[in-house]
Order: sequence, then C-alpha cells, then structure tokens
Amino acid sequence: MSHLLDRLNFFTAKQSFSDGHGVTTKEDRRWEDGYRKRWQHDKIVRSTHGVNCTGSCSWKVYVKGGIVTWETQQTDYPRTRPDLPNHEPRGCSRGASYSWYIYSGNRLKYPLVRSRLVKLWREARKTMEPVAAWSSIVKDKAKRDSYTKIRGHGGFIRADWDEVTEIIAAANAYTAREHGPDRVIGFSPIPAMSMVSYAAGSRYLSLLGGTCMSFYDWYCDLPPASPMTWGEQTDVPESADWYNAGFLMLWGSNVPQTRTPDAHFYTEARYKGTKSVVVSPDYSEAAKFSDIWLHPKQGTDAALAMAMGHVILREYHLDRQAQYFEDYARRYTDMPMLVRLVAKDGQYVPERLVRASEFEGALGEDNNGEWKTVAFDEKSGTIVAPNGSVGFRWGDKGKWNLEEKESSGDDTKLRLTNILDQDQDGVLDVAFPYFGNRDHDYFEGTDHPDTLMRRVPVKKIALAEGEAYVATVYDLFMANYGLDRGLGGDNLAKSYDENEPYTPAWAEQITGVPADHIITVAREFASNAEKTKGKSMVILGAGLNHWYHMDMNYRGIINLLIMCGCVGQSGGGWSHYVGQEKLRPQTGWLPLAFGLDWSRPPRQMNSTSFFYAHSDQWRYETLDVSEIMSPTAPEGDWGGSLIDYNVRAERMGWLPSAPQLKTNSLDIAKAAKEAGKEPKDYVVESLKSGDLELSCHDPDDPANWPRNMFVWRSNLLGSSGKGHEYLLKHLLGTSHGVQGKDLGEMGHTKPEDVVWHEEAPEGKLDLLVTLDFRMSTTCVYSDIVLPTATWYEKNDLNTSDMHPFIHPLSAAVDPVWESRSDWEIYKTIAKKFSEIAPEVLGEEEDVVLTPILHDTPGEIAQPMDVADWTKDEVDPVPGQTMPQIAVVKRDYPNLYKQFTALGPLMDKLGNGGKGIGWNTEDEVDHLKALNGVVTDEGPTKGMAKIESDIDATEVILMLAPETNGEVAVKAWEALEGFTGRDHAHLARPKEDEKIRYRDVVAQPRKIISSPTWSGIESESVCYNAGYTNVHELIPWRTLTGRQQLYQDHKWMRAFGEGFCVYRPPIDTKAVKPMLDRAEGQDHVILNFITPHQKWGIHSTYTDNLLMLTLSRGGPIVWMSEIDAAKAGIVDNDWVEAFNSNGALVARAVVSQRMKEGTLFMYHAQEKIVNVPGSPVTGNRGGIHNSVTRAILKPTHMIGGYAQQSYGFNYYGTVGSNRDEFVIVRKLTDVDWLDGPENRLSPDMEAAE
Amino acid sequence: MTVKSFQVLSLLLAYPTIDIQAASCEFSDILTGEGLVPTEHLAALDRLIDEYRSRELLDLQERYVLLFDRTRSLSLHLFEHVHGESRDRGQAMVDLKAMYEDRGLEIDSKELPDFIPLFLEFISTLPKEDAIDLLGQPAHVIAALGERLAKRESGYAAVLLALAAMAEVDPEAIKALLDEPDDDPDDLEALDAVWEAENVTFGPGSPDEGCPKVDGMLDRLAAEITSPAKAAGAETVQSGSANNG
Repeated sequence: MSHLLDRLNFFTAKQSFSDGHGVTTKEDRRWEDGYRKRWQHDKIVRSTHGVNCTGSCSWKVYVKGGIVTWETQQTDYPRTRPDLPNHEPRGCSRGASYSWYIYSGNRLKYPLVRSRLVKLWREARKTMEPVAAWSSIVKDKAKRDSYTKIRGHGGFIRADWDEVTEIIAAANAYTAREHGPDRVIGFSPIPAMSMVSYAAGSRYLSLLGGTCMSFYDWYCDLPPASPMTWGEQTDVPESADWYNAGFLMLWGSNVPQTRTPDAHFYTEARYKGTKSVVVSPDYSEAAKFSDIWLHPKQGTDAALAMAMGHVILREYHLDRQAQYFEDYARRYTDMPMLVRLVAKDGQYVPERLVRASEFEGALGEDNNGEWKTVAFDEKSGTIVAPNGSVGFRWGDKGKWNLEEKESSGDDTKLRLTNILDQDQDGVLDVAFPYFGNRDHDYFEGTDHPDTLMRRVPVKKIALAEGEAYVATVYDLFMANYGLDRGLGGDNLAKSYDENEPYTPAWAEQITGVPADHIITVAREFASNAEKTKGKSMVILGAGLNHWYHMDMNYRGIINLLIMCGCVGQSGGGWSHYVGQEKLRPQTGWLPLAFGLDWSRPPRQMNSTSFFYAHSDQWRYETLDVSEIMSPTAPEGDWGGSLIDYNVRAERMGWLPSAPQLKTNSLDIAKAAKEAGKEPKDYVVESLKSGDLELSCHDPDDPANWPRNMFVWRSNLLGSSGKGHEYLLKHLLGTSHGVQGKDLGEMGHTKPEDVVWHEEAPEGKLDLLVTLDFRMSTTCVYSDIVLPTATWYEKNDLNTSDMHPFIHPLSAAVDPVWESRSDWEIYKTIAKKFSEIAPEVLGEEEDVVLTPILHDTPGEIAQPMDVADWTKDEVDPVPGQTMPQIAVVKRDYPNLYKQFTALGPLMDKLGNGGKGIGWNTEDEVDHLKALNGVVTDEGPTKGMAKIESDIDATEVILMLAPETNGEVAVKAWEALEGFTGRDHAHLARPKEDEKIRYRDVVAQPRKIISSPTWSGIESESVCYNAGYTNVHELIPWRTLTGRQQLYQDHKWMRAFGEGFCVYRPPIDTKAVKPMLDRAEGQDHVILNFITPHQKWGIHSTYTDNLLMLTLSRGGPIVWMSEIDAAKAGIVDNDWVEAFNSNGALVARAVVSQRMKEGTLFMYHAQEKIVNVPGSPVTGNRGGIHNSVTRAILKPTHMIGGYAQQSYGFNYYGTVGSNRDEFVIVRKLTDVDWLDGPENRLSPDMEAAE
Repeated sequence: MTVKSFQVLSLLLAYPTIDIQAASCEFSDILTGEGLVPTEHLAALDRLIDEYRSRELLDLQERYVLLFDRTRSLSLHLFEHVHGESRDRGQAMVDLKAMYEDRGLEIDSKELPDFIPLFLEFISTLPKEDAIDLLGQPAHVIAALGERLAKRESGYAAVLLALAAMAEVDPEAIKALLDEPDDDPDDLEALDAVWEAENVTFGPGSPDEGCPKVDGMLDRLAAEITSPAKAAGAETVQSGSANNG
C-alpha cells in the first residue's frame, strides 16, 4: 500500500507551541513593517497651531530621524469635573494637515529680497556706511521707484541673514534719524496664539520707539458694544459653559464650522435637553443644531433683537415683574440712574446722566463728583450717589463696589421707575430717533417719522443750575422699545400686532421673520432665564459684528441678556468668540511685549484709522456724516467728513496718532531745551502756535508718511486688509484695481481739517518686511521676506477664550532650511541695529504722545462736554483735553542688550494691569535665579537674561497672576484697596502654584483666577464673563460702574445711539458708478458677505491641496439659485464681482441654502492660488477685500470718557465690511494672464 | 571613483552663487570629457552654462527663485511630486536619509534628503553603474520636471532632460507619463477637468458602495500629481528597504 495513503497530501497539521498560544507559520511577514514604520518615531513633542483661531488645541507631533512625520490630537487635558463633558479631543481637519507646511513647496526656505533693491544696496555699500547707503537709495526717486513700483510682481533673490538684517536695520535707523522712530510701523495680530513670537517684534519696535498696530478693531472682531456696556474689551464664557445653559442661541455664528473643537459641547448641551435657536440668513452648518431656525434678512438683526426685547419687557418687566429680573436690573445695571431731559427744537431729548457735582453741595461728593452718577433711593427718599461709579474708582478708597450703599455707608434701594403717580412730577413727550425709514435700494424700511415722540414719566429736581427734568434710564429704556405703559401718546404699542417700532409686527416687515416666531423665541428665552436665574446664552459672531452698525446688533442682544439677568451667571451671558483676544497671562506678557521694563509709554496705534488715512481710503469717502447723524443730535457744529472726526478725536486725546508729529520726535526735546522750556510745555505751546503740527492733519505730506513696515504672524494684504486695492495703490504704490474716483476728481466736498493734495501719494512705504513660513500674498508684495520657524519649530505659549488652559508651542525639530523663530529674527535685527546705530543715533530723548487711556486715573478727563482746544473752546492740557506728552529715553546703541535682559523698571515701578498695580521685586529675583543674569559689562549687567524664547516664556509666566499664584494673591489684594471687599480668597488656595514652561510642555495647565478677568477658575463653576462683577460685587469699569445700557456721551447722542435702535446698513454707493461696465450683460447686484470658512483658518491652509481638494480648488463665491438664474450663471461658472473699490474673480457655487440677495465669499482665499484675470481691472482677480473699503464710525472715536477711553485693541474705529454691494456677472473669457507680458523678467524667459 | 558629470548637473540645479559662476567654465569640458551625457543634450546644456558667464548673477538668482522657490509644480524636492501633502512624505524622507547613511554620507547642509541637487551629488559618489541605476528610480519625476520646464522654454529643461535620458527609464512608464494630462496650474482646461464634480448616485445598485464623488476625485488627483512618479516612488522605498536589509 502506498504511503500516499498514510499521510496528508493536501493539508499539514498546525504546529503549535506554548499550549496552543503560538503557531508556526512560514508566511512572509514583511508587510507588517509598513505598520511598524507607521508608528515608529524617535519622539513625540507637544505643540499647537498659532493660527488666528480660538481652537488652541494641543497636538502630538511625531518626529523620526529629525523629520516631522505627522501629528495627532493630544488627549491629556486636565479633566473638567463630574457631570461636565471634558474638553478633548481638540483639533480639526485643518490642524491635522499642518505638518505638510513644514516641507511644502510653498514653504519659505531662505530670506528673500527684491533683486533690484539688493543691487542698489550692494552698489551703495561699496562706498558707504549702512545708513548712508539706505539714504542714498530712498532719497533718489528713480532708485526708490525701481523697486517699490514692482511690488507684487516677483523679482526676488535669496539673500543671507547678515545682509538682509543690515538693510532692515539701516532702514530703521535712517527712518528714526530722518523722520522719527514712529514712522517704523509693525503689524502683528492675535498675540494669544504665540505670545513670544508677537512680543519679539513688538519688543524691538517699542525699544526703538516704533509703532505697534492694533488688530482686533481692524479685523472688525472687536465689538465696541462691549467696552461701551462693560468697560471690558471682550470677556466671554469658556465653551464648556455652553453645557450649563438651559437655552442657547447661535446668532451670526457658525460653531460647527468655525469652532470645530468646541462644537461637541453644543451637541452635548442639546442631548442634555437645552433648547437651541439658530439665527442665520443662510442654512448654515449651525442651522442643523437648531430647534428653531430664524433667517432674517442679512444685516437686520438689531430689528429682530429689539422686537424680542419688546416682548420680554412687556411680559417680564411691565405686565408682570419677574422678581429676579427686577432685582438684577436694580443692582447690576444703570437702569435706576437719572438722565437729564433737555429741550431741543421744542422737543425733549435725553441728555447726560446727572452727576453729583451738579447739585448744590455735590451731594457731599468732593472727590470726582463730576463722575458720580445719581439715582433715587427708596429707603431715604432722596437722591444719592450710589457706590461703584467711576468717580469712586479713582481717589476714593474702598467704595468702588456694587454693594447697595451710598458713600456715607447707608444702605440704599434704588428706584427703577417713576411710573407710579406719587413718584412722578408728570409725563413728558420725549423724542427718540428713528432710522428705519431711511432710503436704501436693497433694504426694506417703514415710513415712521424721523423722531418718535414717546411718553416718559419724569421728575423735576433742583440742580445748582436750576430745575431740571430727569427720568430714569429704565423709564427711557421702556419708551425706546415702544412699550405703551398707559401714559397715552403716539408711537407706542399696546399689542404685538401694532406696526410701531419695535413690535414683532414691525420687525416682521424689516427682517422677514414671522412675528409669532419672534414672540415664541423671546418668551422661551426669558422664561428659561427666570427659572434658572440667568442660564440663557447667546453665542454671537462675525455675522453680526462686521456690519457698519454692529453696535446696534450687539447692544440689541446684550439688552436681552441684561433684561433677563443672564450676564455674570454660569450658563448664561454673551459668547462672542470672534477674534482671539484672550491672552490669559496678559499682565506678565505686557512688559516683555512692549518693553515696559525699559521705557514707558510704548507707541500703539489703532489700525483702522491708520490704514484709512495712510492708504488714502478717506480720499474716496462716499458716506456723508449727515447720513448717519441723528435728528435728535445736540446743538453744535456737526460738519466735516469722517476723517475730520478722526482727526478731532486724535487732537482731543481720544485716539492715538501714528505718525504723531510732523517734526521728528527725537528733535523736540532738544529744541525745548534750547528754548529753555520743559518739553511738555514746549510741545503744548508749539502746537498751539502752529510751530509743531500733528501729522494727522496732513497724512499725504511726505513728512508724515509711515516709512518702514513690518508684518509678522499675519497675512495683512492677503486676508485682513479692508480696501486691499487702496493699500496696493497708495501705501505700496504698485499696480492696483481701484476703480473709483477720489473726492477731487468727483468735485465733492473735501475734508475741513485735513489738507487735500491734488495728486495723491502712491507708495508711502520705503520698505515692507514680512516674516512668514509660507509665501503668502503679503510676502509677494514685500521688499524683504524673512522665513520663520513653523509652529513645530519654536517654543512659545498659547491660550484661548474657549478653554482655561495654557499650553505651549514647542520645537519638535530645528527650523529647516534658513528659517528662524520670530524671537531669533528680531533678536538678529536688534543686534544689527545696535551695531550700525552709532552711525546716526546715540542716546536720544523721544517725545511720545499717547491718548487718554482706559483703566488709568486719566480716563476721567472730559466729563460734561466735548471741547476742542484748536478752536479755543478749552485750554490744551496734556492728558486732559489733548494727548498726554512724555519724554522717553532711548539708548539705541544698547537696544540689543535691552532686548535680551529684563530692564530696571519692573523693580522700580512694579507691574499691573486694568488699573491696579503691585510690587514685583520677588518675581524679578526669581527670574534672575531661573534665567540667569547678564554677566557682560554694560547697562544690563546683573539683570535677568531673556536670551532664548524659553527665557521669554518664563518672564511671562513668572510675572502673570494667571500663572503665578503669589502674584495672583498680590493682584487681588491690590483690587481690595479699591473695592473695600475681600477678594484674595479666590486665589489663596493656589498661592504656592507657579507654572513654568516645562510644566505646560508636560501637560496643559489650568490658569489661576486673576482680577485681570471677570470670571474665575474654580472647581465648582465654569469660566464665565462678568462672574466676579455679579458675585464679588466688583463694578464694571464703566461710568456708572454698572452694565451701561444708556450711552450718554455727546457723540453717542449726536449719532442717535444713546439707546439701542435699529439702523439699516449704510449705502456705500460703490455699485452705481460701475453699472455701465456691466451694460448689455446679464448681471445681478448682491450684498457681499465674507464669513469664516470651513477649509482654512483665514488664509492659512487655503494653499493646502488637502483642504483645496475638500473644497473646490480655488476661489469660490456662493449665491442663491434665484440670483444665479437672474444673471445666467450656473454652478462652477467663473464669475466676476466688482464695484468701485475693485474686482475679484471666482467660481460660482450655486446653492439653495443661500438667501436671495447675498453673495458669500468665505475669506480668505489667496491670490496666489488659481486666480485668473479680471476684465474690469486688467489684473489678476483680487481677494475678498478687493471690493471693500474701510468706513469709520465717529462713535468709535470717543475718548477721555471712562469706559469710552482708548485702549490698545480695546476701543477705536473698526474695519466693517458687510454693507458693501457688488455687481456679479458671468466671466465669458477666462484669461489666466500667463502671457510673457505679465512676467517681470520677460527677457530672461523669452530669451530661452 | 566619482562621476563628475552628476556633480556638474547638481551644481547647475543648485541656487546660482558666485562660486558656481566661477566654476562654470569647467562644466562643459567635464560633461564632454566623461561622455556620460548623451551628445544630443550637450548643446542645450552648453547654452545654460554659457548664461553663467553672460548674465548677471542677480538675474540668474532671480530666475531661479521664480522657477524653483516660487513655483510649486517645479519644486526640486522629489517627494513634493511623489507624496505631495501625504503623511507618507516624512517616512519616505527618513528612508532616503537612511540610504545615504548606509553609504557613509551624512547630510551637512540645510537641505532635505529629497532635494535633487543633493541626490545628484550622492550618486556622483557611486560607481557609474550604481549611479545610473539609482538615477532611474526618480527618473519619472525628473522627466516630468524637464517637460514642464521645456514648456516654459526654460534653459533648465536641458539639465533634467539630460538626466532623464541618462537614466534607464522603463519605456512603458514614459508612455504612462506622456499619457497623463499636464498639470500646469495655469492651464484652465486641465484645471477644470481636475476639479469637475462627479455625478453622485446613491443607494443600492450604485456603481460604488463608497462615496463615488470622493473616490473619483481622489483617484484623479492622485493620478494627476503622482502618476509620473508613482512607480519611481515605490521603487525608491523598495530600494530603501533593500539597503536597510
């Protein structure tokens, strides 16, 4: 028998071992290497993405063989607490694709410089010293033009660090010597995302005397309603607090799309049972979160909010008084305060809040009586000046609090209304302005009169000047909402169906939202707030804030929250997350960032006014002041144009100026000395006599031009530059797409206070330097481009308003190619500058002008009226009626040494913020021990070193109360001196905690409660804004010390915004002059809206193929099917959108989710990616800001008035952009402009 | 034993400097002398070399930055064209670096392992046969770059086309390359084709159980970016492993 039968021919038995746990096989297992390699790495490093995003997500970066291979989300955030979801995992598709940037073809690898410039430079340097060499180039018009006129057209070569930093340093030194150091300008946004990188540039500029530019206002992310109402730039709840809400509204914000890592809290809140209402004109990603979706016509949100307020006031304050709401209104708002009513044109109009100083004997308030507001006290039956107003903040000790007391210490109960017969001295018809009747081609109005006469119960009181009628803010507030209280009269509504501003029926006409939806939402919002004591929350955003009248949208909503007692309560309040404003260890960072350890004050400028003036957007102004003026404006000269108002604000000390004076600020102290005068007196006298001139009066005079500009951590020209084409034309002087004619060409009225030059300057900047890690649109337009480290190649710190943690950026690998971290780059420039400075600069005295600043004793400067010293209405007094004047010592040859050491002023003057200060000697000593001390001879010997970026982080962490418990306790104790109450208990349990850089590298750390912010970090409540005001009775930093619903400044009243009203969008008049260009072709005119996008963070990631793949691979605009049909456009067509500001080209996405009448262009899509030419301009199609122009609003210029005083990124003009319209048409011939005539060096390429 | 021709070609693709300009007078002699570069490419190379003498250095540098630093589709980093944004790129560089180290060379510049001039310098240190063999692996990328430069009428095309000619490229792969649409970002038609939306069919019986839109788009994108180089990339990785093993 064959043994074939004895064995298995087709099988073999499994060979096992280890009791069957192991099996022997012979298969090839090399495939497993793929998997192994995937997860092999040498190290994992914690970093994040310092893009302008509130995400602040911690990531694991994997490094293998010195090469970054990928990243994944970190999941080790400290837990929240039981019954609250955790923060992680944080991150989104954008961040997950970041590692690509490091080795990308778009990465900037070497310093680049325009070859024409470097050629001139090398030639000049053969015979000249650096500063002389620079001078020889920029003083020769032909030479200067040869490189400035080709900005944006290529022509770069690589250069080495030594050479480019020498050019930059020479330019800076020349500018300081020739024109003044304030002509050296720097723009960088969002310090919170990489605060050391920001501080690198701002420290260099501040030591130099250069000007740091604001961003929050320029980006139009600053909601001026916040400083107006709360005296607070912006303070908001962390995203975890959404979970605590009982009623959530998303209003003009798109959480899943733009707050991706936090959106889970919203979802979780809905699972918990929280009701959700989304207000969005389009069916946005957020709309899917809603139980009710309201879609008002874009730009009419204030009308919607006012109507909701009408319902809530009717049902919860008038017909029935909800106890919690009434109590909240009495204690935490200005509603009980008295307002004087004055006669104007035979009508009564609300005027100022009455002040203690206006009474005989000033109610016993000798200190700052002009700044103490008054109310009726039900307990004593008299008028009192209750604690907490700003007059108590400065000069009085221990009375700046919200206890229900007056300064004598007696208890009070403030009366809200005089509606009862026994409380009033009659009823007056009071005039309220109405703007909803103004003509607008694309916005529906109503035909109510300009002034609405509404009946208000009043009281007659005796003031020193004589008798006066007064009313409470509460009573005026009710009248403003059009609520009939049984007093008779016109323009008031008893029922919701009446067509009177601001009933739901009225709002339906304006917004298109059915009245019954408005009533339902308002009722449920208030009902939840009443039951939960304020747990109704509104998340609001750029959809509202980028309109010209954003204050009305915001105040309309803030009013809702305040009338329902939601602000300062966990789970309630406003959540404005636009713009990343929350640099949590702020007071530790300020000295580092602005060189406050060496010299004070630093020069800071509000960017909107700066760019408006210096890109000459004012020369094209179409908005006449009369168009926005109130019919109830106080008597006075309200003539002039918008730039005139800005200039008046500058000279009255309200807004900053840059450049400041026509004369070089380094020459003034010398001149004063020669004249035998104190510099301050000399400046005042010379300004008065005209020997010195403020630069703002003539921004086009070459003596007043900004000369050098740094841009870092920003894509100013590719993303945020409102009026992009004007920037190109006037600031840069290169080819542009501006279509409109200026006021001169149009024969329109010119400004009164500003010099008009028939010929507009083109190319004000001598030098534009940009630091970036990728070749952005801004880089393309720069003269010198410096390659920076990416977010995986440097050490830095990162915080957000969305969560309470501080965590790092850390270097996974060294910067590749020739790139360097921002800290190292500015250090290099500082070093070079110090080396070459002695050619023209030594120790100098620099005269610095600063506006009257919020949160300083100076903020109470102009209490009663507005007076202009240039018109002899008042004497020029620095810091009171005009800018403050200081002399600052500069030590230019030692600038590098100062840059790298913690200077002596921290010991001498201490540290602080938001009006409080504390001694900081201990921290300075600790830093010396931690960072080491400078051993080199010289002015910094023995001081703490700040050599590396990590040294810099330690300075921040050591000095800030948020990261050093000892400082937190000191800070709270300092505040106790003002309030007379115990607050240090909030930080004492953490007194010994000191967070170091290495700690946050190990794990994100929760910060420590500090008086810099209005919320607290605790184990029992989430961070929520206004929490300490409500629970610790710390006043808001406003005139009344309370949440201020009535804005009584003269300019607020002049522009009709004392109370919140509905104002339709302004008419920018940018479409009509261009209509002939679309003649004979189908077109449609649409409102141009630029929301935040899904596949990028602003312009970052928009050049990433992964993200482009998920979108459509190039610039796109969204429009409705109806509008598309009107213009004969189908999906994916190339279209051109244009108006007098310029033109852009994009593909159309035609979608049923869009509201008719709007065109969306998600910002910011780069000019460098797939953009064909525009027939209108003949240039490559522009970016989203090519069709916008900044238009200033005078109420944002107010200063010297408690909460309405200037602060950097706190208050000031904002760059709104939503009111713009464009003509949209199909692009028939797509021209990619790739012919040789469009290349800069045709000879080179054509020759081949 | 080194192959100087590769060193010359490496320098021609490097950022023009004064040193390269000075050395350029020897380039032609070396190329002719070694006889490695096919003769039909020598004239074009000579024209490029001549420019080092006839043109200003700044002009040469400006052109270089415009072409190679600013134009992504002309990047001289091999894996830009092979892996693009993919996370495989990091691993591929790690492998390539390991291959250099196996041959006793460490990277002493701030360049990445996949930078073509660096790669050329590496193969210049190898025996001629090995060099040609290794050059064959990324030859498709090199050929594609050469085509793109030729389309722009750039003198640099000469270097890349010469390299492609020297490598023993699989004719099938060349054909595949030539069949691919050109990805010139300025070519509207091509761009339209890439981004065109795919018809979507849902439900049972649809041709694809997955998401046909995404699959289709990704396939075409992958083909668009990587096809000339896909094969080469795969081979590079293989050879990397082989060297490791």
